[in-house]
Amino acid sequence: MRLTQRAKALGLGAVALSAAVTLAACGGGGGIEGGGGSEDVQTVKYQPPPSGDMTVSNWPLYIDKNTVPNFEQATGVKVNYIEDVNDNQEFFAKMQPLLSQGQSGGRSIIVVTDWMAEKMHDLGYVQNIDPAGIPNVEANLRDNLKSATFDPGRKYSVPWQSGMTGLIVNTQLAPNVHSINDLFDPQYKGKVEMLTEMRDTVPLVMKADGIDPATATQQDWLDTIDKLKSAVASGQIRRFTGNDYTRDMANGDVAAIIGWSGDAVQLQADNPNIEFRMPTEGCILWSDNMEIPVGAPNPTAAEAFMNYVYDPKNAAPLAAYNSYVTPVNGVRDVFKTSDPDLVNDPLIFPSDQFTAKCTNQPNLTGQEEQTVTRAFEGVLNG
Amino acid sequence: MEAMAAERSGRHERWVALRRRLIPYGLLGPGVLWLILFFVVPLYFMGRLSLESGLFPSYQFDWNFSNYSDALSTYDTQFFRAFEYSALATIIALLIAYPLAYAIAFRGGRWKNAMLLAVIAPFFTTYLIRTLAWETILSDNGFVVNTLQTLGFISNDGRLLATAPAVIAGLTYNFLPFMILPIYASLERMDTSLIEAAKDLYASSRKAFLKVTLPLSAPGLVAGTLLTFIPATGDYVNAQFLGGAQQQMIGNVIQSLYLKQTDYPAAAALSFILMATMLAVVFIYIRFAGSEALMGEEVPD
Amino acid sequence: MEAHAATLPVQKRLSVGTRMWAWVRRNAIVIYGVLAIIYMLIPIGLIVVFSFNDPAGKFNFTWQGFTLSHWAHPFEITELTNALLVSLRLAALATLISTVLGTMIALALVRYNFFGRKATNYLIVIPTATPEVVLGASLLSLFLIYGLQLGFTTLLIAHVMFCISFVVIVVRSRLIGFDRSLEEAARDLGANPFTTFRKVTLPLIWPGIVAGALLAFALSIDDFVVSNFTAGTEVTFPLYIFGAAQRGIPVQVYIIATMLFAITLVAMAFTVWQQRRADRLASVRPEQEV
Repeated sequence: MRLTQRAKALGLGAVALSAAVTLAACGGGGGIEGGGGSEDVQTVKYQPPPSGDMTVSNWPLYIDKNTVPNFEQATGVKVNYIEDVNDNQEFFAKMQPLLSQGQSGGRSIIVVTDWMAEKMHDLGYVQNIDPAGIPNVEANLRDNLKSATFDPGRKYSVPWQSGMTGLIVNTQLAPNVHSINDLFDPQYKGKVEMLTEMRDTVPLVMKADGIDPATATQQDWLDTIDKLKSAVASGQIRRFTGNDYTRDMANGDVAAIIGWSGDAVQLQADNPNIEFRMPTEGCILWSDNMEIPVGAPNPTAAEAFMNYVYDPKNAAPLAAYNSYVTPVNGVRDVFKTSDPDLVNDPLIFPSDQFTAKCTNQPNLTGQEEQTVTRAFEGVLNG
Repeated sequence: MEAMAAERSGRHERWVALRRRLIPYGLLGPGVLWLILFFVVPLYFMGRLSLESGLFPSYQFDWNFSNYSDALSTYDTQFFRAFEYSALATIIALLIAYPLAYAIAFRGGRWKNAMLLAVIAPFFTTYLIRTLAWETILSDNGFVVNTLQTLGFISNDGRLLATAPAVIAGLTYNFLPFMILPIYASLERMDTSLIEAAKDLYASSRKAFLKVTLPLSAPGLVAGTLLTFIPATGDYVNAQFLGGAQQQMIGNVIQSLYLKQTDYPAAAALSFILMATMLAVVFIYIRFAGSEALMGEEVPD
Repeated sequence: MEAHAATLPVQKRLSVGTRMWAWVRRNAIVIYGVLAIIYMLIPIGLIVVFSFNDPAGKFNFTWQGFTLSHWAHPFEITELTNALLVSLRLAALATLISTVLGTMIALALVRYNFFGRKATNYLIVIPTATPEVVLGASLLSLFLIYGLQLGFTTLLIAHVMFCISFVVIVVRSRLIGFDRSLEEAARDLGANPFTTFRKVTLPLIWPGIVAGALLAFALSIDDFVVSNFTAGTEVTFPLYIFGAAQRGIPVQVYIIATMLFAITLVAMAFTVWQQRRADRLASVRPEQEV
């Protein structure tokens, strides 16, 4: 009896072991591999009329409640709108195993910031958009966004909203903060926060030190990160945040922070003393872009959606809700009748003078990216 | 005739014995299979990953053990911090939970289930919301901080958020049910006649508690402390919302390596180190507390 | 009269202070218990209060005014409501499966000595020592290799996986020291193993199983990290909140959290009522039937 039992157990063990080994062999290099590379990027085929279902992945609270239902009514397409992009890198890490196998997890549109759009494209994870489906984009995209350094001719990215990273201050607690360097003033010790988004925080601090982020060397990045490290150690910087700086600002726990322009407007509702301030050395400009990932089902509906939100009539409520820089021409005219007090809002329609000193969000790749990111994350993690 | 009957009953006995031997496997089967498929096998792949090197996304497997030494040397601060916070949180949780579990088990009466639900109920409102609520409650200009300032516990420009006490308080609060439930389960099924017997033998209440109740609730205590300490050490949500850059724990580092830096080999190596230390803690604890408490070594028939 | 007075014991009238102190000492532990429960409910109080907030902007951080208007439309935000339903379904299923599997394992571990017992013990404990990030990431790679489409099923698999260990630990601490003589008595009276289990063992370990199931449910409905990796396009309640927390939590989230809490309160009231009923019924003496 005992013998039979033991033999059985051993046999089971052997089966399990061999199964695991076989699986490992199938697994190959751990399953982490890049996609096809940017040479074999596909272009989707636009085949009107749009129909069926589609899933859109976007950042949270980035859309008003009428746009999707109105679109569904206008086109008959059923939209599954999910808000699961909380952070470019986290989204990328979650999607990467899928994208590397040519799947998008059912998503037809994803919205990521410029540098992530570039990264995904270089890895072959996104498809080119068929121009036939997006005439509104061709017609209404703002001139200074028509071409991007990472996507000349806008082949695979269509801006959703643009924004500015700069200072958000509580005018009562920090009336004299006008430059990023003021954030290092000891009188604001423990009442200052910066962003976890490396490509916003470090370039801004670099600009305040006179370095141009577009031409900065790896050493420049690392030196700036060291400066941040000492500020953390001394207790100057309270913490690094994503959008959750809004809570600290609203509660009055912090006096001045690096933040995003759209949030400042919203925060004023909680505390009228809060305002966005363009730093004296300029801000960082970025866009969140709509893209069609590889393996996206129903690209026709995706393009119809992109086209829809580029009609100024539909872009206006989006801009009013988000308070970010709208990439669509003609919204200002729509505001003249619908939201007249927003017509001259410098945060939605920044003049060239307003953004004269601003630079586009820079990007890093390869070994440089890994080294600098590691150093920056080291500061974040204390 | 008799021989055949004897043989048949002998065969029957062997059949019953065989069935008895197979019952545990039958009971274990589904659950253990689930765990092997969805826990052990993925870990194997993770182990492979921890020995790879290179740049994302093309990692090569090359027995790169330096991932482990690099991880240990770079992130030792966060490791110790995590242990420190977690140990403190566990001790405080124990001090809060034991009397509470005792009160429910022995003085609950018909309110027992109600009180248990009152303990569990907050935990249906999502970890994140609870932690965010604490973030509001502990804000610089809030009631709690103002009171503490008046009482002199913190300086006038001091704060609670983005400090170690806030993170520890968050950990304690969030893992309290993990401490309460096992202790309660253990106390509840205790035979109260043993306590009465102790009292009959002239033991004071306190002595009865120390010599009878406490030792008998040991399994619950062990389970509770481990169920609190271990996840608390790997936690990152509390540090993220209630702490600042200098309160980040090892869990934050692992999350950052996986999701922000996509440095999978380093992340995998760090994860294994954390797992190994936790297991060491478990085994040391068991040595102390006796393995029956956790492993259920009570050897059956 | 004097004789009468002499037979009565002399009662010393204690002062009010001493009596009060004695009462406090006797009930100290209950008072403490109530205070502890109040502590646990503080954040809930905040959540309930903020569900009545009337914020002008997107954010719900500062108290701006009382309103019932959001309560009129608690399920207005479809993404939020869907996320909630997903979480509830997931938690219910995961609890069911993991409690059954976990109880079976606990029984096997405590009651039987078999080859691989030690190994199984370790197999149960190690998942609880593993950081959730590791569980999540390793599961994701695994699902891809097995070719499973990410979604509700993969979520369920993941949730059951991490719940099993906890159920085992809780049920086991209840099983240890369990008085086997009751089962033996049942067997002596002719009950077969199944009946013994059903009528004797199960009712006696039931509180432990319930505790394990409650823990599994709480773990599942609360889970964020593992879900983040294995959910695919499925959005659970915690996943939704994490996203929203960055941008400003809509009032509806607080409302739903309050509702969830209210449901458990109702369950509480129900059990108290049930208990009272059971007590009343138990006090009816059968002998009174003639």
